[in-house]
Parts: sequence; C-alpha cells; structure tokens
Amino acid sequence: MANAYDAIVIGGGHNGLVNAAYLARAGKRVLVLERRHLLGGAAVTEEIYPGFKFSVFSYVVSLLRPEIIRDLELPRHGLHILPLESTITPLDNGDYLGSWGDHDKNRQELYRHSPRDAEAYDLFGRLMQHMAMAVKPILGMIPPDPTSLSPRDLLGLLKVGKHFQSLGAERFHALFKLMTMSSADYLDEWFEFDALKATKSASGIIGTFLGPRSPGSAYVLLHHYMGEIDGAFRAWGFAKGGTGAISNAIGNAARALGATIRTEATVAKVLIKHGRTAGVVLENGDEILAPIVVSGLDPRRTFLDLLEPGHLPDELVDAVKRFKFRGSSGKVNLALSELPNFTCLPGEGAHLRGAISISPSLEYLERAYDDAKYGDFSRNPYMDIIIPSMIDPGMAPAGKHVMSIFVQYAPYHLTGGWTDAKREAFGDAVVNTVAKYAPNLPKAILYRQVITPLDIENITGLTEGNIFQGELALHQLFFLRPASAWAKYRTPVRGYYQCGAGTHPGGGIMGASGRLAALEILGHA
Amino acid sequence: MRTETIMAPTFDTIVIGAGVNGLVAAATLAKAGQRVLVAEQRALAGGTAASNEFAPGFRADLLHDVGAIQALIAQELEFSGLGLHEVRADPLVVTPDGTGKFLFLSRDIAKSAEAIRKFSSKDAERWPAFVARMHRLAGFLDVLYSAPAPDLLASSVRELLPLLKVGRKLRGLGKTDMIELLRTLPMSVSELLDDWFESDVLKGTLGAQGIAHITQGPRSGGTAFVFLHNHVGNDAGAFRGRTRMKGGVQSLSSALVNLAKGLGVQLRTDAAVSRILVRHERAVGIALRSGEEITASTVLSAVDPRRTLCDLVDASEFEPEFLQAVRNIKFRGSVAKVHLALDRLPAFTGLSNDGAELGGVFSVSPSLDYLERAYDHVKYGRVSTAPWLEVMVPSLVDPSFAPAGKHVMSIQVQYVPYRLRGGTWDAARSASLGDAVVALLAQYAPDLPNVVRHREVITPSDLEQKYGLTEGSLNHGELTLDQILFMRPIPGSARYRMPLDGLYLGGSGAHPGGGIAGTPGYLAARQIMADRKRA
Repeated sequence: MANAYDAIVIGGGHNGLVNAAYLARAGKRVLVLERRHLLGGAAVTEEIYPGFKFSVFSYVVSLLRPEIIRDLELPRHGLHILPLESTITPLDNGDYLGSWGDHDKNRQELYRHSPRDAEAYDLFGRLMQHMAMAVKPILGMIPPDPTSLSPRDLLGLLKVGKHFQSLGAERFHALFKLMTMSSADYLDEWFEFDALKATKSASGIIGTFLGPRSPGSAYVLLHHYMGEIDGAFRAWGFAKGGTGAISNAIGNAARALGATIRTEATVAKVLIKHGRTAGVVLENGDEILAPIVVSGLDPRRTFLDLLEPGHLPDELVDAVKRFKFRGSSGKVNLALSELPNFTCLPGEGAHLRGAISISPSLEYLERAYDDAKYGDFSRNPYMDIIIPSMIDPGMAPAGKHVMSIFVQYAPYHLTGGWTDAKREAFGDAVVNTVAKYAPNLPKAILYRQVITPLDIENITGLTEGNIFQGELALHQLFFLRPASAWAKYRTPVRGYYQCGAGTHPGGGIMGASGRLAALEILGHA
Repeated sequence: MRTETIMAPTFDTIVIGAGVNGLVAAATLAKAGQRVLVAEQRALAGGTAASNEFAPGFRADLLHDVGAIQALIAQELEFSGLGLHEVRADPLVVTPDGTGKFLFLSRDIAKSAEAIRKFSSKDAERWPAFVARMHRLAGFLDVLYSAPAPDLLASSVRELLPLLKVGRKLRGLGKTDMIELLRTLPMSVSELLDDWFESDVLKGTLGAQGIAHITQGPRSGGTAFVFLHNHVGNDAGAFRGRTRMKGGVQSLSSALVNLAKGLGVQLRTDAAVSRILVRHERAVGIALRSGEEITASTVLSAVDPRRTLCDLVDASEFEPEFLQAVRNIKFRGSVAKVHLALDRLPAFTGLSNDGAELGGVFSVSPSLDYLERAYDHVKYGRVSTAPWLEVMVPSLVDPSFAPAGKHVMSIQVQYVPYRLRGGTWDAARSASLGDAVVALLAQYAPDLPNVVRHREVITPSDLEQKYGLTEGSLNHGELTLDQILFMRPIPGSARYRMPLDGLYLGGSGAHPGGGIAGTPGYLAARQIMADRKRA
C-alpha cells in the first residue's frame, strides 16, 4: 500500500508548523496532526470570555527567525508585528524607571536615576549586541557532536572553534562570562541602579528555575537579547491578533505549500515496523503511514510517551529522564472594564502600550525565587505585563481591555500539589501585587483566567509546564539539547525526528528548531 | 654622555607571602639555582596554613586540611623526604540526620555503602558507580590543574600543543565520561546529587563539598564543578576532607620552610611589603613598610590579586580596563572559624564517649534544603541562623594541639558574610556568632557550653585584617566557573605574568586556585624560569 504521506509532523505548535512548511516547500507530502482544536501549541489566541481575546500562554515575539519570515512569506499569510516600544518598572517609592524606544529619551531617563549608569548603558548595549551577534551563527547551525570523529562533526567543531577565535580575546571572555555568571553579578559589573539591574536581570530568569543570583541566568539574559538585533523588527513585538496569529500565519503558509493540517487528532504512538518508522497510531486506533515522522513535542513525550519501551538505548532514556523541565512560571489573563491606573504614571499614556515590569529590585526578585525554591508560589512575584488591547484594539470590545500577566515563580512541583483553591490564591497574589502599583485594578476585573504550570502541562502538553520544553541551562544547550549524540534532530529510530524547542537552539517563538530539523531531514545541512 | 649607575639586583626573585604557594614557588626557583627572598608580613610563615595558639597550650589551624597535593609537586620537591605524616581518619565524615541517626562516610566504598543503606538501599546500590564516576571526572580536572590553563584562543603551534595534549586526555576519558564532564561542570550540585540519590542526609553531606568557601547555595549553577574541584587528589570514595597531616596544616608549611631554606632561600618574617618597586615600566623589587627597599629581577606575588595589583602597585602602571577587571573579581568570603579550648571532650548524643567517630569531621548539613536555607541569609547580608558547620577535634588525632587531657574543637561556619547588612563586624557581633555556634552544637553535644574554657572567633573581616585575604576569601577569589582556568585571576592574564614586566602572580588567585596546595606557586615559578630562558 502506498503511503498517503511522505512525512507526518506530530504537534501543530509553531516549530511543528515551521517544520511542515519547510518540508512541504521541498515537495514533500506532509501531514500535521494537532491534538487540540486550534493550532499553535503554546502560541494560541483564544476568546475565553466573550469579546475578549487572550494570547493565553506565550504573549510576545522577538526571536522569530527572519529567514523563516522571509522563506515562508509570513506577512503575506497574515503575520503583522506591532512594536512594543517601552518598558516601565514602577518603583516602591512611587517613582518609575522607564525605557523608551528613543535613545535620547532613554538616556535622559536613566540619567535621572544614575548618571553613571546612563554612561555605561550605551557601552553595555553595544557589548550585548556583539555578544548576541557572536552567538547567532551558533544558533543557526546544527550542533556538531564533540565525541564523534566523523568528518562532518569535526568540520562543525572546527567551524565553532574558528568562530570563537574570530571573536578575539576580549569578546570571547565576555561571552564566557555570560555563559557562566549570574545575571545579577554580570549586571553588577556594569550598573549601580537597583531597579535597572532588576529589570534587566528579569529576562535572565524567565522560564528557568533560577534566581537572578544563580550562575547560569546571564545566558538566558543573552538569549532574550537575541531578538533585538535581527532587523526584521525592532525589539519585542506583539502579533496583531495575538500569538495565535503567528501560528495561523505559519499554518497558512504550510497549507499554501501543500501541507495538510488536521486538528483534534491525537497521536498515541509512533508506529515502528522492521526497526524503522512507519507512521503513527492515533488515539482512536487509526493508523496513518509515512516513512518520516517528526515530533514537535518535548523530549520526554517524544522519547518516552510516543515510543514503546525498548526502542531506545538505556543511556538516552536516562538522559531524557534527567532532562530538567521544572516549569517555573504561570500566567494571569484579565478582561478589564477600564485601564489600570498606575500611581507612578497616572492616566492613559504611552507607557500602557509597552511592557510593565514588576521588578523593583534584585532583592525583590531573589525573594520571589526563595518562595519557589521550597515549593511555594511567590507571594510577591516577578511579573511582565502587557495590555494587548492598547496595541491591537481588536483584542477587546471598544472601551474595554485585556491584560496579559506573565508570572514567575510558580513552581510545577508545588508543596502538596496544585488545587483549585491554590490556583485562586495564586491569582489573588498576582492581582494584589499589581494593585500595589495600580490600585484600581481589582475593581476593573471582569474576568480572570489563572494558569499554573500544571494547567500549561494539561492544556498544551508541555511537560511540567516548562515554556521552553526544558530549561535553557548551560548543561541543556547546543550538543547537549536534549541529549548528547541526539542533538541533531535525529533519534535512534530511523525515520523518526524531533523538531521542538527541546532541541537546539531552544525556546521562545523562534522557529529555529523546526527549520533546522527540516534541513536535517532534507539532507541540506 | 649621561651615566647612570645600574646596580645588579640583589635577588633573582622576591616572593611576597610565605604561604604554601609562596614557599613552593621559592623552593622551585631556588632548586633551579635562583637567589630567592621570601617576604612575609606575619611573624610566622605558612599564611593560611599556619597554626595559632589561641589560648595557652591550645592550638588551632585556620584550615581543616592542606588541600590536594598533586603528584607533580610532591615528586619535583621530593615531599616523601619531608617527614610528613598523613592522617587517614575513619569515618571521614559524620552527619547527624536531624532525627538522632548518623550517616558515617568512610574511605572504604563498601563500608560507606552499608552506612548509606540505613537511609536508602537504592542509594547504597548506586554508591560504587557514583564514586567511580566522580573519581574519573575529578581525575580530568587533576590533569587540567597540572599545567597552565589551556588557552582556547591559542593560534601558535607552541600554544596549541598543550591544548591538544589536554584534548587527548579528555578523549581518553571515554565518550560517556567526557560528555558527563561537560554536562556536569555547569550544573548545580543539587541537580547532580538528585540525579543519583534520594537520601537527604547523604545529599546534604556531599552537597556541602559543592558550596565550600563560595557565596552560592547548592541550587546555584556551577556548584557541581566546586564539588569536583574539592575532590581532586582524593581517593575514590573519599569525600569531604583532603590531605590531613599529623601536626596539622602547620606541619606542611614548616616542612616547606625547611626545604626552601635548605635550598638557600632567604625567608624574612615580620616583613610587610608596602609596594612593588617599578622602574621603566618594570617591577624591580619591593619596598617594605619599614622603608627598606630590596631589588630583584622578578617579583612573584603569592598574595591575592586585588592586594597585589590594586594595593601594591601604583594604578598608573596598568590600563584602567585591567584594573577594572581586577576590581570585578568576586571574593566574597563566606566562612568564619570558631576555635574552642575544651576542658574535656563533651559527649555527643548517640556517639561513643571517647570520640572514636570524631577523627574526621562532624558535619551539620542534614539536607540540601538546610544548606540552601543557610545560603538564603547571606544573600541579604545576614549570618545564617542555621549554618553549615564542619567540626573537627584535632587533639583527638594529635595530642600536641591541647594540654594533656584537654581538647581543641575547630569549627568552620558557613555562611558568614564579609559585608553585613546594616553594620560592620565588631567584637560584639563576633561574640554573638561564637555564642550562636556553641548553642547550635549543644544540640548534638549538650555538655559543650560547660566545657568551653576559651574561645576564638575569626570572621571574614578578621581574615582580611590578620591574614591579608581580601574580603576574607580563603581561595583568593571565589572558585566559580567564571573565575577558573583561563579566566583566573582575570581573562587575558591567566599565565601568571601580569601586564607589568617582571611581575608574576602565583597565589591561590591564579590557576588552578585554592585547595590545590602549591600548584599555582609551582606553575608560576616554572613560568618565570621559562621566560628567563627565552629572554
């Protein structure tokens, strides 16, 4: 019997869709199978409350690879990025720290708090830009296996070595520091103003179970800096229609290239015949055949759930079991009858079109981490807030608003486990903390959606609710992501591939894993 | 014609600081025929490896062990002839689990496994494999530590050769171990131990080795490296505690003084160096606090990089970026010492009355969470209310530490910050730290408060004042991933040569760092000899 498809992609998240689109572009007959009724995985827009649209999980975009936007002609398929230009950090003394799109305005604002930091800021920005550029080629390459003696791997290693040499000593050492230091220590070398360090270091803790003083957090800081340099769009942006619109644009591109996409189709197992991949078995028992199967799910699901035991070497099973997920963040989405009124900047202003960061000091963030270390959610968490309806009025009825609050820390492994009561207590802690800075918030809430890491796992399938399909820790990057010898999108089962954020280069709405996996499958690498 | 009298320098090399590294460097250079002077600010040689009579007849050591003594130094300087006697205590470490039970870890792998079985049979089964793996991984660090730090950016063949040699040894580890090493170094010691074990008291006992002397908790990235660093040079299965000598750490420095003197080294104690003399952009000697100036072709400083480069040399001799990098070195001493002179050995509830189990260390570290909570305090500038305590009774091993029938208890306390929130260290704060430590230990030895005759408390501030250790950092700068190998003491200057001709750094602030006794000094001396040959 002839196979209906050349390749099946499991999971209609953005990486799975990117992968499918690239395979279809190369002429393959591709089928995407998505468990839920809508595409996107963690990048979805849903109308949870009538008239109000939420980017339920992932809410901003900056890392989406420009070559993907170009190759798949995403703007033609409905992708429209609106800039998020500013970030304000309300301070406990009633003041605020602002960061605006405009360089001079930015400098003036910093100068108001610390002339020294205003001086250092440009130098810092330049160095981080260099660092991000230094890492970029690494992100774009299929990681070589350092233990392999194959010509391809040796060439890859040589390429990495040459690349680092070309950086020169000063930048190489700066990069090494970024890879190994804590974001707090790294920023301490540059700045003195606490709220500035806190707000910067906050991007170093997102999605990981580390505090700003834990070594390893400086790399995540860089990972988040990456988006600011690509020139496709500046800094962080918001997709018109929410993050689901990104997924839909990629899905549309894939369809236009000939891919078939089925939703509400849950894959139970990968079908293996004669030692190689033959297709998939759906939960309803249907078999769909294809010689290539690509999993966009996280490593634990890809290797341990979708395969029958016995197809993998013990070493790999161990490595996947040890892979750290530890979801550390949650989300609170609010439908609002009116805009929040921040004490530090009263009224409706430009600041409501950007991000609002609840990160008044390093100690604040560190204490938030302390709560989580011992199995509690942060009583006063770090929060990254945006009001999408200010940027894209289509997200809420006229005069009304939606507010997206990313919250950390909310540990997946909560002492005693998550319950409905604890979810609500967590939501209360979030609202009460924001209300310290915007007192009208509680009475403006029409509807509240609270999402714990357990909810993220249950709804999207992300193990332990980790938004990056596994922590972006140094020992889980590059040729170690997700496991040594299996970092090149292949698996020990012939014809079975991986393309999710659990592979190099990792999470964020980047699409790089999906693309690189497709190149590997197509043999273009 | 202008004439200038050029006096030949009095010494080939002046070594600043007579700690283990300074003495090893001096002996190495003297052995190669150099005229060497060692200048020591204190009355006694040894630096941190010195005993102190803190009460009449009672001695205590600042350090509980001398660290790892690498084969290359032991062979080069013929340590076997120095008359040193190693103490091999058993058990190595005793940890109360908080419920009245104790974990005893021994050098003997099977014996430890049996002791672990009381807490978890699964952990006992995994123990031999863990021991073997950690020994192999630390063995690789041992290789890296036996030579100057590899220069990853090396371009010349001469520089590349050592790198290839290290690379070959790394490959020689085998594929699994090699990946395991790369994977392990950036991990937290909690993650490492959680991968292997389930018993809290076992993980607490081992985890303490991953946080020793740093201001990071067991959940901080890179503490798995610290764990391996502190295993370098140890026997397989011997965790917590490196080479211990009969007579304490002082016996090593005394032996080194004898060795150096025998090789013609001049040692001057009570000779505090006030600055390094620089002429025509070259270090040419030292000035003592007394005003005396002594000249030499090269100066090797075994004191820490901040003191050497910021205090002893005029700032105008260096580029501002270089000095900024030196100021950015993280020191952050986190350890205090409490020494107790005891009328007799107090009974530890649940242990033998004669101290049979106390020849090694008694460790208050019942779990990783306990250690992490101790760390939480220091993050905010406070002394841990429930610190990690490492207790030794040296007089049980060597009666010369105390008058007949009496005992000395030496307690290392972590975390104790150098910088206190809202205050500075003073006599009252030291005293309350001492009280707190005695009260904590009284939970295990209820009679302890009644048998304390004298007490000495050494805070990180005291370590800075008395021993010249910046911020009380016993390792001359934290041993964290961003401050090791080619990053130590600062990136770009990791080959012992400082950016001032004739000035070398060879203390624990240089590769391979603290706890690898004498190797930084030895490698710095070798660098001086190599440079001289080349010149």
